[in-house]
Amino acid sequence: MKAAPFLLILFIFSAGAEALAAGASIDKKKSPAKYEDDEIMFRIIERNPESISAFYQGREFSKQAIDEILHTCYVTVIIKNKTRTTLWLELDNWRFSRNGKTIQRIKRDYWQKRWDKINLNQAHRSTFGWTLMPESRDLREDEGVGGSVVIPTQTTPFLLTANFFTKPDKSGPIKTVTIKDARCVKDIKPAP
Amino acid sequence: MCKRHKASTIKSAIIFFGLILVALSGPLSAANSLPKGIMQLDGRTAPALILKDMEEESFDLTNFRGQWVFVHFWATWCGPCRKEMPTIQAMSEVIDSSKLKIVLINTAETEDTIFNFLGIVAPDLNPLLDTDGLVTEAWQPRGLPATFFVSPKGKLRYLALGGRDWNNKVYLNFLTSLLN
Repeated sequence: MKAAPFLLILFIFSAGAEALAAGASIDKKKSPAKYEDDEIMFRIIERNPESISAFYQGREFSKQAIDEILHTCYVTVIIKNKTRTTLWLELDNWRFSRNGKTIQRIKRDYWQKRWDKINLNQAHRSTFGWTLMPESRDLREDEGVGGSVVIPTQTTPFLLTANFFTKPDKSGPIKTVTIKDARCVKDIKPAP
Repeated sequence: MCKRHKASTIKSAIIFFGLILVALSGPLSAANSLPKGIMQLDGRTAPALILKDMEEESFDLTNFRGQWVFVHFWATWCGPCRKEMPTIQAMSEVIDSSKLKIVLINTAETEDTIFNFLGIVAPDLNPLLDTDGLVTEAWQPRGLPATFFVSPKGKLRYLALGGRDWNNKVYLNFLTSLLN
């Protein structure tokens, strides 16, 4: 069983000391890329193309499929809800941008079309789907979630602003986590 | 006399509201006493679950009415799943199998991959093969791993979020209380 080697580059983020109402500003200082306060643990795992490729090769994905994946930028995130209430993961409330200009996120329907084009089998579609971050999830107290959010490949750093509604009815203050200077890992090595 | 009547009315009111509080606190206490990461579900009927295991034996969840079923979704590529699996093996050795049926569902992997992993960490467990991943998607776990508890009447009663040490006393106590 091959385990995909993940390159963990962790940042220490400066946390807003305020509670849920406060936005947590995350400055990239030094590795490791981990933000944590009383309400949330938010960690970015930078996966280089080789590790992504190795993972899917290990699952017997075709070269075509791996090439499709490597044409995009994976932002792999692990989140844990540390509040005493519901924290709403909704990717539509995340924004990737650079200099105020939005970078459109690549959503799940994009992959369906790509997989249809190369006739990717259902098992691989399923496996791939489970490696993506859920589009929406009401994270319960202590619940964690992880997965990849995909954007077009970027050659320069970008800003990620992740907003989370709180409380079951979303009536609580919005929790915001901002990551400055997020990046796509370069040096794409084509699958053999 | 009037004072005595008033006192009696107040006493009755206190008892009445006290009883309401006791009635309300019952289910809340039960929910609060669930171990960490175990979530109560709404009791809807479990989705269909008909799959084959690694020995080509067919399994149908509806044949297990009358006992609790531990329905566990996993994959070898999932880190928490790998960590959790040996604890399921250990738990399976101490739990009364006539009361709890343990069902492992591998999501969309090949037999070789599964065998190479389980043969080492949990050789006694024989998973069902969801070869195309569609059964997993029908059950809609909140990620992998995930464990549903299906009641003897075939209803979804609890969901264990993520991985844990099932052989830990807290979870063994939960299972024991469920089965008794």
